[in-house]
Amino acid sequence: MAAKQKSRRVLPGFGLSMGYTVVYLSLIILIPLAALLLKATTLNFGQTWNTVTEPRVVASYKLTLFTSLVAAIVNAVFGTLIAWVLVRYQFWGKRVIDALVDLPFALPTAVAGIALTTIYAPNGWIGQYFEAMGVKVAYTQYGIIIALTFIGLPFVVRSVQPVLQDLDQQYEEAASTLGAGSGQIFFKVIFPAIFPAVLTGFALAFARALGEYGSVVFISGNMPMKTEIVPLLIITKLEQYNYGGAAAIAVVMLGFSFILLFLINFWQWRTAKKHQVT
Amino acid sequence: MVSREVTLHFDTSAVKVASRFDSIRKWLLIGVALLFLGLFILVPLLAVFSEALKKGVQLYFAALIEPNAWAAIKLTLVTAAVAVPINTIFGVIAAWAIAKFNFEGKNFMLTLIDIPFAVSPVIAGLVFVLLFGSQGMLGPFLAEHNIKIIFAVPGIVLATIFVTFPFVVRELIPIMQDQGTDEEQAAITLGANGWQTFFRVTLPNIKWGLLYGVILCNARAMGEFGAVSVVSGHIRGLTNTIPLHVEILYNEYNFTAAFAVASLLALLALATLVIKSMVEWKTQKH
Amino acid sequence: MGISICDVSKAFSSFPAVKNVELEIPTGDFVALLGPSGSGKTTLLRMIAGLESLDSGKILFNGLDYTNKTVKERKVGFVFQHYALFRHMTIFENVAFGLKVRPRRNRPSKREIKEKVHELLRLVQLEHLVDRYPSQLSGGQRQRIALARALAVEPEVLLLDEPFGALDAKVRQELRHWLREIHQKLNITTVFVTHDQEEALEMADTIVVMNKGMVEQIGSPEEVYHHPANAFVYSFLGRVNEITGKALSETTLRVTDLEKGTVGYIRPHEIVLKKTSEGLGMLVEVVHIHSVGSTVRMQLKRRDTDDLYEAELTIETYKELGAVSKGDLLHAEFNNIVVFENEPGTSHSLQEQTKFTAAFN
Repeated sequence: MAAKQKSRRVLPGFGLSMGYTVVYLSLIILIPLAALLLKATTLNFGQTWNTVTEPRVVASYKLTLFTSLVAAIVNAVFGTLIAWVLVRYQFWGKRVIDALVDLPFALPTAVAGIALTTIYAPNGWIGQYFEAMGVKVAYTQYGIIIALTFIGLPFVVRSVQPVLQDLDQQYEEAASTLGAGSGQIFFKVIFPAIFPAVLTGFALAFARALGEYGSVVFISGNMPMKTEIVPLLIITKLEQYNYGGAAAIAVVMLGFSFILLFLINFWQWRTAKKHQVT
Repeated sequence: MVSREVTLHFDTSAVKVASRFDSIRKWLLIGVALLFLGLFILVPLLAVFSEALKKGVQLYFAALIEPNAWAAIKLTLVTAAVAVPINTIFGVIAAWAIAKFNFEGKNFMLTLIDIPFAVSPVIAGLVFVLLFGSQGMLGPFLAEHNIKIIFAVPGIVLATIFVTFPFVVRELIPIMQDQGTDEEQAAITLGANGWQTFFRVTLPNIKWGLLYGVILCNARAMGEFGAVSVVSGHIRGLTNTIPLHVEILYNEYNFTAAFAVASLLALLALATLVIKSMVEWKTQKH
Repeated sequence: MGISICDVSKAFSSFPAVKNVELEIPTGDFVALLGPSGSGKTTLLRMIAGLESLDSGKILFNGLDYTNKTVKERKVGFVFQHYALFRHMTIFENVAFGLKVRPRRNRPSKREIKEKVHELLRLVQLEHLVDRYPSQLSGGQRQRIALARALAVEPEVLLLDEPFGALDAKVRQELRHWLREIHQKLNITTVFVTHDQEEALEMADTIVVMNKGMVEQIGSPEEVYHHPANAFVYSFLGRVNEITGKALSETTLRVTDLEKGTVGYIRPHEIVLKKTSEGLGMLVEVVHIHSVGSTVRMQLKRRDTDDLYEAELTIETYKELGAVSKGDLLHAEFNNIVVFENEPGTSHSLQEQTKFTAAFN
C-alpha cells in the first residue's frame, strides 16, 4: 500500500488558528492554574491538610455548599416556572420580562450585592417586614441564599426555555386524547422531557453560586464560623500573605467546581447520546 | 382535540369549568413568576436608582465627577478597552479552529475554555497573585526589573482578561457549527483565498453573534469585582475600578455616592440587555 | 478538460469510502456517478474538486498530476447539494463573488462583472431576481443560481453534488432538461452525483455505477441498463424480481446444473402473462392489481411455493389479456431471466464480463 499522503484540510488557517488558540489558552488559563497547583504543593501534606480542615475553613465549606444548594433548588423550581410562563403564555410586557431575566448576567455583582443588602437590611424596603416578624435576612444565611438565588436565576430559565419551546404540543395532545389529566400530562409527559435541562440549569447555577463573591460579601456580614464563605476566606488568607494557605483552599474549591463541571458535561453527553439513538 | 369534541357532545359545562380552571391556573402561574422576578430583579434595580437619587440630583452628579470616581471610570474604560478586543480576537480565531475543523482533543479544549466560567473569580485573581505577586513565582524577577503587575493596572487587566475569556468564543462556536462549512467551501471553489473567505463569507454570517458576545464580554469586563478585587490593592485614584470604588464608598457608609456610581454600572447592564434583545430580534428575523 | 482518476482510495477513520477507483472522463463528457447512499460517489466528486484529500492514488487533469493542487488551483465549478448560496448576499453578489475575489490584476472591471452576471442570469433564466436574497427564492431557483455562480468563474470542469436531490418531482424534471441543454450549449466536462437511476439514465452520456466505494460498471445508459455487469447494477437500475432455488431450476429448463444459491433476475415488464398455458408457464395467483398511468402493476403469488413476483404490463397488453381480477389464476412465462456468476458476495471486476443470459422458450 502506498504511504498515506499528507491529509490536507480544505478550509485554510487551521494551523495558524489552532496554534494561536493553544498558545493563548496556555498563557491565560493553563500556566496560571498550574501556578496555583504548584503553590498549593509548597506546603507539606500535613500543613495543607491542617489548613483545609481548620474548623473555620470547614464551616465555610459547609456554609457555601449549603447556601449554594438551597439557592440552586429555589432557582430550579422558580426558573422552570418562569420558563414555562414565558414560553406558554402570552401577556402584556412579556418581552421586557424575558429580557430582564438576564439582568443577573449583566449586572455587576458588587452592584447586586449592595442593592440586595440595602433592600433586606433591617430598615430596608423588604427587610423591615421580616424584621417585624423577628427574622433577620441581611447578614445571615438567608441573605446569602437570596444573593445566590439572584445570580443563579438566569441559568435554569435559559436552559429550560429552548427545550420547552421545541417541545411539540402534539405529545400533550396525544396524552390528553389518551385520557390524561393536566397534572398527569405535566408530570408524565412534559417534566421528563425538560428534566435534563432543569438539571443542567441547576448544576450551572450551583457551580456559579459556589464561587460567587461580589454579591455575597456585602449581604453576608462575614462572621467567621457563621456567615463566612470560602472565597472570602481565600482573600483573608491572601491578605495575611499566607499564599500557600490561600492556594490550598482554592484547590479544594477548584476540585468541587471541576467535579461539577465534569458531571454537567457527562450529563449533557449522555442525554445527547440518548437522543441520537432515538 | 378529539377529547375536547367528545366532551362537547356529552357535557358542555365540563368544558367551561375546565377552561375557567385553565385561565385561573394561567394567571396564577404568571402571578407567581412576576412576583418572583419582581422581588429578585426589579426591586434591586429600582433600589439602585432610588438610593442614588435619594439626596437629590446634585449630590448624584457630584459623586460621579469627584476625582476618585473619575479615575475609577477611566481605569475601567482602559481595562475594558484592552481586555475586550484581545478576547474578541481570540474568540474569533479559536471559534474558527474549533467550529470549522475536526481534531482530536476538541472537547478537552472546550473544557479549558469553560474554566473561567467554572472557577470562582477570587481564584482567578489569586492565580495571578501567585504568579506575579511579591511572594509569587515571578515576584523576585519582576521586582528586580522594577515591573509591577499585582496591585497595579497590568494585574487588573490580566484578571479581567481571564474572567471574560470565554464570552466571545462560547457565543461564536454554536453559531459557526450550525452554519457548517458549505458556504466557506463554496467560496474556496470560487477562487477566494482564506482572508476573503473569512471576511466576506464567515464574518457577515456571525456578526450578530459576535456583537452579542462582545457586549457580554464588555459588561463583565467593566463589572468584574471578585478577581479584580484580589489583584488591585484598592489604591484610590490609581487601581480602583468602578466596582471597587463602589465597594469603598459603601464600606465608608457613603451610600448615596456608592449607589450613584453603581447606577452607572446598572445603566451599562440595562444597555447590554437592550442590545442583546435587539440582536436576538435581528437574528430571529433572518 | 479531461480527468483521469487513477487507483484512488480514501477512508474516513476506519471506514473505506472509496476503494481503488479507476475512471477516465474525456473532455466534454457528461458523467453521472450513480449509487446508493454510502457508495462513495459524493466523496469521489469532492476529491475531484479537491475538497477531500486522497489516501492513495492520483487525479490528473488533462494528463497533469493535480492530486496535490489546492481547490483554488483546480478552477472547478462546484454546485453543492444544499446550494451553499451566501445567505447575506443578494443574487447579484452571489454570482459576482468568484469574479470579485480575483487578485486585482485579473479582476474584471465593475462594468464587466455586471455584464457577466447578467449574462449568466439570463442563461439560467432568472435575471429578474438579481436583487433578491437566497432566502426569498424557491429551491429550483436556488439551484439555478448556484449553477450560475459556479459558471461565473468559467470553470473547465463542472461538478454537481446531488443537484436535484432536494427538489420536488416536477421541478426536478424541468431542471434535468435544462441542465442537459446548458451542457450542450457550453460543452463543459460535467460530473454529477445522484442516487436516482432515472436521473442518471435520462441525463448522462456516461454512467458510473458505484457501490460500497467501488466502481461496479462504467458505460453509456444503454450499456448499463441492458447489459449490466452484475446483479448489483441490474437491480439498482430498475425494479427486479429475484428467482431462487426450485423456481429457478424449474423455469430454466435447459440449464439444470445451476449451483445451489444461484439467483436469477427478471424485470417486471419481462414477465409474460397468459390466461392459458402454452408450455413452460407457471401457475400464479393475482394478489393485487393497480394501475399507474399508462402501466399496470400486478402482484403475483406462485401457487406451489408462495413466492411473490411483480409484473408490469402496458395498458394495451393488459387489455389484450382480457378481464383479470384479484384471485384469478394466470400462467406466467419468465423470459429473459438473467443469472450472474460469482454471486453473491464476491467482488465484481469490469474487465471480465462474466454475465450470461439464459433465454428460454
